[in-house]
Amino acid sequence: MKSGSSGSLTGGKPLTASPVPETTPHCSLCSGHAVYHDRISGRYLCRDHFIANIESRVTETIRSRKMIQPGDHVGIGLSGGKDSTALLMILSRLLPSLDGVRLTAITIDEGIAGYREDTIRSADELVKKYKIPQVSVSFTVLFGNTLDAFLKGREPEACTVCGILRRKALIAGAEQAGITKLATGHNLDDEAQSVFMNVLRGDLPRLVRDSASDSQGWFIPRIKPLMHVSEKELAVYLMLHGAWPDLPECPYAVHALRMEVRTMLATLEVKHPGTMLHLLESKAQIEAHCAGALVVEPVRHCRECGDACSGEICQLCMLKRRLGIGGS
Amino acid sequence: MDIYPLPLPSTSTIVKIILPDKSCRTRDVGPVTVESLLRELGLNPVEVLVSKNGTLVVEDAIVQDTDEVRIFRITHGG
Repeated sequence: MKSGSSGSLTGGKPLTASPVPETTPHCSLCSGHAVYHDRISGRYLCRDHFIANIESRVTETIRSRKMIQPGDHVGIGLSGGKDSTALLMILSRLLPSLDGVRLTAITIDEGIAGYREDTIRSADELVKKYKIPQVSVSFTVLFGNTLDAFLKGREPEACTVCGILRRKALIAGAEQAGITKLATGHNLDDEAQSVFMNVLRGDLPRLVRDSASDSQGWFIPRIKPLMHVSEKELAVYLMLHGAWPDLPECPYAVHALRMEVRTMLATLEVKHPGTMLHLLESKAQIEAHCAGALVVEPVRHCRECGDACSGEICQLCMLKRRLGIGGS
Repeated sequence: MDIYPLPLPSTSTIVKIILPDKSCRTRDVGPVTVESLLRELGLNPVEVLVSKNGTLVVEDAIVQDTDEVRIFRITHGG
């Protein structure tokens, strides 16, 4: 590793070597200036050691959970936001070590004015830079209107409505691309928030559900290679590559329970480092204890659209009725 | 606290701070850690990144003299 490498942000360009500032701690592994302090281990890392650490942890997550097999065609849900940008960059860098694996980006345009235009532009530039094929799906084409139009007067339901429509759009994009795995940019913070939200809702089945293994052959398995990397680590990773997307916050995020949980967990994490990781470990332990104990409902087919679902009518068709979207 | 009367005492350290909303402040904060500065501003270190004079720094880096501190909020959503 080079010593003395820095995290220069000037002009959004990648890092250049600069003198080690005396007022900044050094890397625990070399004499470089620290760009990240791991509050759990107490270790300081310079640019090069930090990047190597993130990429090796993602590699280990993929390997230990058998997320990607030789010959897989992996779709990357690419919004152009920071998490999916980091996911595409890291998977692209790991690609030579993944035997015969191909990547395709899948970008969904929900139609969120003042927000999605910028992230889509960022996604388009990224796939060009990394020479990755891209499939784009828009709510307007798929459902006949934008998310903004569907949400008029229903703003507090934004994340639920968007989640259901977006899932269908991702499946449509995945089918169009012919992928075998769908990778999303969910990070450690997202996963910890989901665990906590499911506990708050008293939803044990959802808490232990594994999107990679509960498909019963009907869905494209979803993988989350960044699930052990924190949101802050991803932000640092992007900054160090001069790829930080300076984008606005989703305007509907303020309505979400997740926003409250995010703030709560971030407050706990800074006081008690490792809180988020412990939540994920708790989930794994509950999963292990529940293995075989929970009755898994057989996959049924929606009587309106024929898609796989757990009830008589799928969530999408129920939502379409409520929103007055014609045809399934 | 925001605007210090001139001439500055020799111990004064006026730091320029660029906040996540890109607004700018100058403060006499003295030689302090980035973490102390964030706490003073009511920001959680888990939710932001900080650069000092254009270089990414950790929370216990020292801010002093005429440093320019820039704070980036890391949450974007979706």
